Order: sequence, then structure tokens, then C-alpha cells
Amino acid sequence: MNAKRYGMSIDIDRCNGCGACMVACAVENNIPPAHAGIDERKGLTWIRVYKVDNGEDYPGRRSAFVPMLCQHCGEHTPCAGVCPQQAVDIDPRTGIVGQMPERCLGCRYCMAACPYHARYFNWFDPAWPAGMEQTLNPDVAPRMRGVVEKCNFCHGRWHAAKERAAAAGTDEIRPGDYVPACVEACPTGALRFGDLNDPASDVSQDAKRPESFRLLEKIGTDPKIYYRSRKDWVHEIANAPRPGAARKEADHA
Amino acid sequence: MFPWNYGFHWSAASYIFLGAFYTVLVIVVSTVATASIRSRRALRSDLADRIRWESNFHDLPEHDRACRHVLTGEFKSRECPHAFDCRECETHPKLLARHPLPPVEEHEEDLFGMSFPLDRFYHRGHTWARLEPDGSMTVGLDDLGRRLLGTPDSVELPAPGAHLHVNGTAFRFRKRDADVRVLSPVEGRVIETGGPERGWYLRVQPEPLDVRHLLRGAEVRPWLMREMERLQLALSQEGAPTLADGGVPLADISAAYPDADWDEVCGEMFLEA
Amino acid sequence: MHNDYIARGVKRCSTTRFLLWITPWALLLVFGLYSAGLCLVRGLNQTNMDNRFAFGLWIFLDLTVIALGAGAFFTGFLLYILKIADLRAVINSAVVIGLVCYSGAVAVLMVDVGQPLRAWFTFWYPNVHSMLTEVTFCITCYLTVLMIEYLPIVLKNRKLRQVPGFLVFEFELHKLVYVLAGVGTFLSFFHQGSLGGLYGVLRGRPFAFREGLAVWPSTFFLFILSAAAAGPSFILLTTWMVEKISRKSLVRPEVLRLLGRISGLLLSVYVLAKTVDTLVWINRTSPGSGFPAAQYYSWRPFGTWILFAEIVVFGLAPALILLAPKLRARRGWLISAAAMACFGVALNRYVQTVQTLALPTLPFDKFLSYTPSWQETGTFLAVVAYGVLVYSFSFRYFRLFPEERELRAPVHQPEEELELVGRY
Repeated sequence: MNAKRYGMSIDIDRCNGCGACMVACAVENNIPPAHAGIDERKGLTWIRVYKVDNGEDYPGRRSAFVPMLCQHCGEHTPCAGVCPQQAVDIDPRTGIVGQMPERCLGCRYCMAACPYHARYFNWFDPAWPAGMEQTLNPDVAPRMRGVVEKCNFCHGRWHAAKERAAAAGTDEIRPGDYVPACVEACPTGALRFGDLNDPASDVSQDAKRPESFRLLEKIGTDPKIYYRSRKDWVHEIANAPRPGAARKEADHA
Repeated sequence: MFPWNYGFHWSAASYIFLGAFYTVLVIVVSTVATASIRSRRALRSDLADRIRWESNFHDLPEHDRACRHVLTGEFKSRECPHAFDCRECETHPKLLARHPLPPVEEHEEDLFGMSFPLDRFYHRGHTWARLEPDGSMTVGLDDLGRRLLGTPDSVELPAPGAHLHVNGTAFRFRKRDADVRVLSPVEGRVIETGGPERGWYLRVQPEPLDVRHLLRGAEVRPWLMREMERLQLALSQEGAPTLADGGVPLADISAAYPDADWDEVCGEMFLEA
Repeated sequence: MHNDYIARGVKRCSTTRFLLWITPWALLLVFGLYSAGLCLVRGLNQTNMDNRFAFGLWIFLDLTVIALGAGAFFTGFLLYILKIADLRAVINSAVVIGLVCYSGAVAVLMVDVGQPLRAWFTFWYPNVHSMLTEVTFCITCYLTVLMIEYLPIVLKNRKLRQVPGFLVFEFELHKLVYVLAGVGTFLSFFHQGSLGGLYGVLRGRPFAFREGLAVWPSTFFLFILSAAAAGPSFILLTTWMVEKISRKSLVRPEVLRLLGRISGLLLSVYVLAKTVDTLVWINRTSPGSGFPAAQYYSWRPFGTWILFAEIVVFGLAPALILLAPKLRARRGWLISAAAMACFGVALNRYVQTVQTLALPTLPFDKFLSYTPSWQETGTFLAVVAYGVLVYSFSFRYFRLFPEERELRAPVHQPEEELELVGRY
């Protein structure tokens, strides 16, 4: 079996900020409901939609939505190198950067290292109100208080797909068989998932488009999430050397 | 941490890192272990007294560690390398050969009204040792020591049969806030104990008989001059008038200095840091 | 009698007064332990740290305290390996300060991590490439070394040394102290450096990222230098404070001046290295990551004044003062310069921890601010109280300043005895 490099392509022009991906992710991965009094800086949002605008005033103002999730960095993975307990596990078969919450000490060094703010800490004890435990996904382990977690491209679904393939007698997962929850839920098809090593896949073709870009390329992390947009001002913001220049304020969904 | 742990990789970095860690661990543990083993050995060999003195000596201020040959003028300054145990010193016999002590005519030294008979040997901790005709040695406090002690609040003497070491603890006393041990000038077994009223403190069977480390004859006067200097310095710390104006020390010096830190003064004079 | 426990020849206040001094600190410690307890029991939501500010007051405190506690290893190195005998006057105090700083830092770290009971995981599954692993190993080993170095100080207590076993063990251990000093220096070199390396390797934080030598970024070496510079200054400062509070002379003025000079020398080297490093970072490293350096300082309140303050006002200025013998001789200048040096190092640690996290990395990020919660502040104050308590206790019952006895000023100078002295 060839090593795959699973990645995503995200069409910013298609994203309407509905947040279905965020909800699907939370449901799939057993994210506990937020505690009372929590603010958005302490929440668990493995995928998170940011709103950006071009800084103009009415009528020239334009907005766009940028879903942010773990970029599954391929080179100099910042979080993997710094974890003192080796709780970050990069799977060579898939390229997925996985997190082992059972190994995590909660030192949060990986969170300091990640420039994409893709890692989230369990500041609270997870608690589900009575009855809500029926919504839990039995295939995903909930995490405990005091550990870091992040998007793992719904790794459990990959395992399920592999089992189905094995049951069907093959080694290879069919491309459509393994799809993370956010991609599945996206109503506009802005999120696409696939194997970047496979030249025929949508994702690798999207990656080669001239309007595709990756975030913070110069840092050299080789992320596997390719964003694209036909709007110049989106490119401008994404490449802006000065993050969030005064006129262009960012908001979080 | 160990090769059989999940996630262990054999790499140059692992070798260096874990190698350094284990080396440090081994060094630290073996240091503590060595110290422990040596301690046990020392305790078993009854070296505690000797170590106590060496430790004490190490803590004395530099000028209090002067070699006896500084007293008699052979050196301008020299720190005793053997903690006042001249029996072990190679330089001492050489110096004695080159500068033998001149004989003294008097039977005793008289200094500031205190008497120091010269029929006995003196220890720098202000005890004297006298060889008796039956081969035993009597140990007592010299006149300065006696006056510092005055009437002690309590004296703790060793039991007969106890073993004394040179520069070990002979006996202890308490006076006001002072709690001091007095150094033993001789090595041997205690035969009989005396007390402040009897003029001597211990009668000892020397094992072996060796008095090379004790002061005698012409050494006594220069030593005492220096001791009086030290006493004046110790007392002057308490804001009291000095002795140099010709006064005679009293039978109980502490009575003249009620505000003095008597513990400090006695510690200074009896060489206990 | 309290005399039995207090060393001969030094004066200490009465037990009642000592208890009066201890009480407010003990109360502060209790409050701090309560705050820490809340964080342990209810979770880190009790703090104001969040997903953007993963590190806060505690990490800043840890780094600062470890830099200031570097005096322990450095003084040990200078005394036992380089044989600068004058430093014997302050080595015991330095060891106590080091012990307090490191044990306090480790205690705070145990509260700071989400799962303290998993602390052994770092030892069991170490990631040898991570700077934090290095820090963990070295600090644990070094804390052990410090505790072993503290033991002789305790065992030399007047009452305890009566026990033959303690006396002999202390004596034997002291004979090997140079081994411990050497190990301590080796360990400190690496963990002070790795604390700097923590931030220097962060590729994802161009503000902190630095190039370096092999696997070690320049901040590795800068942290060692700044810690070695801050250590003697902090000893200077604390010695002066203790002298003021106890109203006693504890060390000869030459010793303080020597500490100042050592600190000044190292501080100058550090400022030079830091300047070179900053220039390289501004002109090459940061732009190479796509982040021109100027933009970091366009976020208020972190303007260029902070860079200037760190390197010039609290770096170059105290270095020059400490190097000038005439200024060093004046107590006011010496202490102020030492305080400025310590503050400069604290500022550097602050910039590395808090400013790094405050600055946004993504193009559409916001600049966020952070204020510690009262629970965090309480825990920090617990460490301070703990430090004061341990130090006070040690100062009272152990001989922290061997020169104190000799420095007890005689009220009368014995003049006439010069005639008695003769040839002495």
C-alpha cells in the first residue's frame, strides 16, 4: 500500500460561514458542551470558521469565511517536535498528525508552538447533561480535563474505512469511503478531502490551481490544507505580513 | 527511558541524551553513596571525635589556626595543616631540630596574675596534662580556662572507662548561656574523674603516651600573650572595657561582663566554632 | 534554650519576634496554597490562560525564578572549580536561594500542567528532540543536587551536629562538594540553555524563532549568559536585603563588589551577544519567515520601547555601572545596578513568554491581552511566601553567612594591646 498524504482543499469563495462543519465536528468527536461562563477563547473548536473582510466601509465592504483547522504539517511539524512525551503521533501511512490524549501531560507547549492556533486545551472537566450521553459517538474516545486535543481528520473514520475494505477483501480504501465529518457536512462543497499523493484526486488537482495558497508558507511547515479564492483581497489578507492590519479586523464565528 | 518502552528510537540523539542523563544519575548517586559508606566506616572506626574536631578546626577563623611555630617566631604566618595534631606533622620535628626550645629557669609563668606551672604540658584549648609517677596523666583546666569557667552551672564529665582522643571531647560545661566542650589533650582511657573543686578533671591511662602536640616550656608565654589578645578581642565585642589597663582577671571573669555573649567568648577561647 | 539551635557567635531575635515575622508570610502561603488547590481540584479554568495564551504568569515566573536562582550553580562553579575563595561568604545563602527558586518553580509547574500525575510520562517516554524534555530532566536532576547541597547546611546546625552520624556524614559529603558543583554546573548550563531553546525553536512563532548552532538556537546561549549574569546580581540583592532586614553586617563589602563585577562582566558579554542576535533576527531570520520585524512592535503596548528597555536601559546601563569600580564602591549604585540587571532578565523572560504568545501569527488573527486571575497570582505569591519562610528559617538556624561572626563590629577597639603584641 502506498503511503498516502491526506489533505484538504478549501474554497473560500464557497464558504458561507454556516458553521455546519463546526457542528458536525463537535458531534463526531464527542466535544463536551461548554461550561457556563466560558468565553470563546477557552472553547474546543477543532475546526473554526473565521470571518475576514476587506476593511472597506459600505458599500465597498466585502467579507469572506475561512475555516481553520489543524493543517497537518508535513515538514518540521511544530507540535510533534516539541511534545516532551511524544504524545503527537504522525502516521506515516496517512500523513495525519494524531494526538494521544492519554499520553498528554497538559503542558501546552504544542499550543505555543502551533502558529495556526489549531490546538485546544480542556480547561474544564467534560460533562454531558443527563440524556445527552445518547448523542455520543461510540467510536471516538472523549478526552479528560487537562489535555490537549485537535483535529485528526476523523482518524476513527479512517480505521472504519480500512475495516470495511478489509472485509471486502482489499487493502485500499476507496476514495469516497473515508471522509471527515466536516467535509461530509459542508452544504456548499467548499471543503474537499483526499489524498494529495494521488494525482487524480480532487484535492491534489485543487492544490495545483494558480489561485490556491497555503497559510504561512514561508515558515516552512508544509501544511496539507490548500485554500483558494479568486478574490485578490483575500489573497492580500492571507499573505499580509502584518497580521490583522489596522483596517482589516478579524472576527471569529 | 528504556529501550523496551513504546516509542523508543535508537538514534544519536537518544544515545547522547539518555547517556548524559544516566551518567549524571550515576555520578550523583555514587557521590551520596560514597559519602554514606565513608561515614559508616568512620563511625565504626570511632573516628567521629576526630572528624568533629577537624570540622570544627575548619570553621575557625584563619588567625586562630596559626601553627605553634608562629608563636615562637619561626614563621611570620602559617596555618596549621594538621588541625593542631603535631604528631602527624613532618615540619614540626624538622623545626625542633633546627630551633630547639631554650630552657626556662622559672617553675611557672606568671601572666596578669594568672599562674601557669611549667611542670606540665599545655593544650591550645586551655587544658593541661601532667604525667604522674604511676604512668597515668592528669588533665585539668589551666588558670585562664578556670577563670572563664568560674563557677560552672553544670559540668558533664565522661564515665570512667570512656575512651578519649587527642582533640576529641574531654568534657562539657555550661555557664550562663555558654554550652562548650573542652578539648582533650591526651589519648587514652579515663580512670578517674575529678571536677572543678578538685583542681583537676580527669585521670587518664594514656594509650599511647605521646605529647608531641602539646605546648611546653618556652612556648607557653608567647602562646598566652596571644591568648590574652584573643580574649580581649572577644570581650571587646561586648562593649566592655579591655583588660589592657593593667587589671587582674578575676576568679570568675564572666561576673565582670554580665552583658557579654559568654557562649561566644568561651567558644572562641576553647576553640569551638 | 533557643541558644542550643542557633549558631554560636551570632545574634538572632527572640522566638516571639521571629514568629511575628513568620506569621504574615505563613498566612500568605496558606492563601496561595488555597489558590493552587483550587486550580488542582477545579481545573485550569480557574486561571485566565486560554487557547491563545497557553502560557501565562506561571511560566513567566518559572523562567524568571530559575534565571535568578542561577546564582547557586554559578557561585558553586566559581568557588569550587575556579577557586575564587571570597565567594565562600555567600555560597550557603546562594544554595538556599537556588533551592527555594527551583523547588518553587517545580511546584508551580505541577499546578500549571493539566495532568500533574502524568509528570513521569516525560521520563518514561522522553522525546529527546524536545527542549522541554531536556528542561524537565535537567531541572529534576538539578533540584536533587541542590537538595543534597542543602543537606550539609542543615546538618551543621548546632544541635544537629551533636549527632555523630550527621556530623560525619556532613563532613564526608563536604569533601565531595566539588563533584556536586561540577554536576550542578553541567546541568544548569543545559537547562538554562534549554529554557531559552524552548522559544528559539518555535518555527511557528517568528517573533521568538532564532537561528543557531546545530540544534541549539541562539536563545539557548543567550539564556545561559543572562542567567549567569543575573545570578550573582540576585545574590547581591538578597544579601543586601537580608542585611537591611536583620540589621547586621553579613559579608565584607569586597564580596558584594566582587559579585557585582562578575555580574557586570557577564552582563556586558550578554548585551553584546543579544545585540548581535537581535540584528540578525531583524534583518534575516524574521523576514525569512515572512514577518518583517517592525510589525511586531506596531502592536500596543509592545512598542520598540520594550526592546530598548530590555537591552539598553536594563542591560547595557547596569552592565556599565557594575563594571565601573568607582560606582561599584558606592552601595547605592551597586544595589541599583544589581536590581536593574535582575529586572532586565525578568523583562527578557516576559518578552519571550508573554509577548510571543500575544502577537498574532495568522494573517487574520487579533492581538489579545491577558491578565492573570487571582488564583494565578495567589499561587505565585505562595512561592514567594514559601521562599521567604525557608530562607528565614535557614538564616535563623543555619550558618548562611560564615563571615557574619567576624563582622560583628567591636564596640571598643583594643588599642593598647599593640604593645603586648611584640612581634606578632
